[in-house]
Amino acid sequence: MLKVENVTKYYGDFKAVDNLSFTVNKGEIFGLLGVNGAGKTTTFRMIMGLLDVTDGNITLDGKKIDYDVTDKIGFLTEERSLLTKLSVKEQALFYGTLKGMNKNKILQKLDDLLEEFGISQYKNKKIKELSKGNQQKVQFIMAIINDPSLLILDEPFSGLDPFNIELFKNKITELSNSGSMIIFSSHRMEHVELFCKKLLILQNGKTVLQGELDKIKEKYGKKNILIKGDIDTKKIEKIEGVIKVTELANEYEIKINDKTVVDDVFKAVKNNKITKFLVEEPSLNEIFVSKVGENYEK
Amino acid sequence: MKSKLWYLTGVSLKRKIKTKWFAIANILLLIAIIGIVNIDNIINFFGGDFDEKNKLYIVDNTSYTYDTLANLVTTTSETYNDGESNFEIKKYSKTKEELKKEIEKDDKIIGLIVDKDENNYLDVTLISKEYIDNIDYQILNTSINNTKINIALSLSNIDKEEINKIYSAIDIKREYIDENKKSEEESQSMIMTTVFPFIILPFFMLTTILIQMIGAEVNDEKTTRGMEIIISNVSAKTHFYSKVIAGNTFVIMQGLLLLIYSAIAILSRKIFGGSLNSGVVLQVTSIAKDVMGNDIINKLLYTIPIVLVLMLLTFVAYSLVAGILASVTTNTEDFQQLQTPIMIVLLIGYYFAVMASNFEGSIFIRVMSYIPFISAIVSPSLLVLGEIGLMDVGISIILMILTIYLLTKYGLKIYKVGILNYSSTGLWKKMLKALKN
Repeated sequence: MLKVENVTKYYGDFKAVDNLSFTVNKGEIFGLLGVNGAGKTTTFRMIMGLLDVTDGNITLDGKKIDYDVTDKIGFLTEERSLLTKLSVKEQALFYGTLKGMNKNKILQKLDDLLEEFGISQYKNKKIKELSKGNQQKVQFIMAIINDPSLLILDEPFSGLDPFNIELFKNKITELSNSGSMIIFSSHRMEHVELFCKKLLILQNGKTVLQGELDKIKEKYGKKNILIKGDIDTKKIEKIEGVIKVTELANEYEIKINDKTVVDDVFKAVKNNKITKFLVEEPSLNEIFVSKVGENYEK
Repeated sequence: MKSKLWYLTGVSLKRKIKTKWFAIANILLLIAIIGIVNIDNIINFFGGDFDEKNKLYIVDNTSYTYDTLANLVTTTSETYNDGESNFEIKKYSKTKEELKKEIEKDDKIIGLIVDKDENNYLDVTLISKEYIDNIDYQILNTSINNTKINIALSLSNIDKEEINKIYSAIDIKREYIDENKKSEEESQSMIMTTVFPFIILPFFMLTTILIQMIGAEVNDEKTTRGMEIIISNVSAKTHFYSKVIAGNTFVIMQGLLLLIYSAIAILSRKIFGGSLNSGVVLQVTSIAKDVMGNDIINKLLYTIPIVLVLMLLTFVAYSLVAGILASVTTNTEDFQQLQTPIMIVLLIGYYFAVMASNFEGSIFIRVMSYIPFISAIVSPSLLVLGEIGLMDVGISIILMILTIYLLTKYGLKIYKVGILNYSSTGLWKKMLKALKN
């Protein structure tokens, strides 16, 4: 289990991370979210042992982070962390050896992963000669080549097409099922929603929201109603508890304060010619924007 | 952790050596060194001749000038050319027009037409196809004027023996109170011919390579963010030391390769039939003879190892500085800018070394030989000149070790912070803060 306990990090007088606490259990995918400069990278660097914490503790399976522990961690950085003058094979040997793996094991694992990601033909190619998408695949392979017990993924889908995103999703799920702890960070909330049952939103180093996704949505309370058909939007807007009515491409989205408003909205449209009436949970994106927005205003 | 240090060192070295550019640069170096050592053979091969003499055709219309003039041209030319005349002289009896035709065909021919002159004893016309060498012209000019005086003196009934005495050169004997001292010109010549090509120039070249290698590697790993992965698996200290060890190993290897190339070049000279007693090799051997003759060789036998120690320590210091500076820069352009002050320090040392003889006896130059970073360049020159002794080099070594200790202690603090810093704002503040921690 990864345990981050009351961690604070100062850069001089600047508090980059303020009293951060969370745990990630085996097989869990944990979402660490935040706008740029929220403190995510600092948190990752502290977990990787690149930065010392000013206060608090970080342990992996009960051990403090040191170079033995980081051998079991895989890290996919937001920017490419590949030595682009090396070939894929040289890069794997370099990072694998630094992770304490022997040459045969690295090459065996590399062959398997290249095959799985459909880029075996690039094994001896220089990384700089690969496309952006293939470089991202290589970066992902480098992060998981050591079968990490903790995997940190910072914007893993950057530069990927939908087909390859699917490939990555399957691999991430597979790793999670095999017991790896995964910390997932992305600005694409729909991706986070797909994987993460637990998440934390950081803003200016402080935790603004934390918990299980279902409970967060439940607690958030607000719902969305999607209606397809002819409706009187002005009439609906006047209903108490309706926040906003938005006309989408071929339907209407009605944001409401809580589920008790659903009946009032239904009564208002039931005699109209409608083909769809769907009550939805709010998206994580909505919650994120709402929570981060609240804090911006504060 | 120790094995990771050697692994990183090996990777850095391989990355440098297993490139086509390393091979190309070394092939070019080998070719250049072979070319320099065999330059006279190469020129001969393409039809030129280092030793080809001018052909001086003299048309003597006075009937009494040729012998004196030919004799004076030969002796004057020998004086200018280390005992060897640069002129093959021939008495020409055909017409001026025919002489011109011959000069037209062969540009090495210089024609001199000597006529009587009532006022000036002699009237001389010099015919050449193109411009002639300035020194050759000086020789001819001096010889013609001396011939005129010679003729004038003989017409004044002064006998030939007396005239020869008048013209014989005076051999100036030189004595030095301090046996170790040579004249400034001789000292300069010794620095330029022995210390400069064999010590100062290779040291300068290798230090430049070292600084660029370490800077480029640290920058490459940093700008690609590969540094984050590396530093999460090995300490910044291990990473730093691996770069320093790899850089120094590389320049030592390159230095040894330069020595091998020089040996190959000398061997090639023998194979291609060139004499070891001419061209660049002659210069080296003649200087070596001078050096031996002046008992400097005995001095060199024990000074070379100690100078080598100083040089190796200086390499280490430069590599530490290069690593530290590269860690705080965020891209190659920034590092190139930061590299400039290091190069200026190197250049200062370089000029002090080359001009060491001008500072003879001054405390200033002795103090310069103690200054870390330039001591390894300045000391060899001063040692050869006898300006400093082994004790002084010992002081330089102690100061260099102290510098390395301080660079390692405080530089490592900057390196640890620098390699993960991607912002160039507040750089000095960050460095100072890192030093305080």
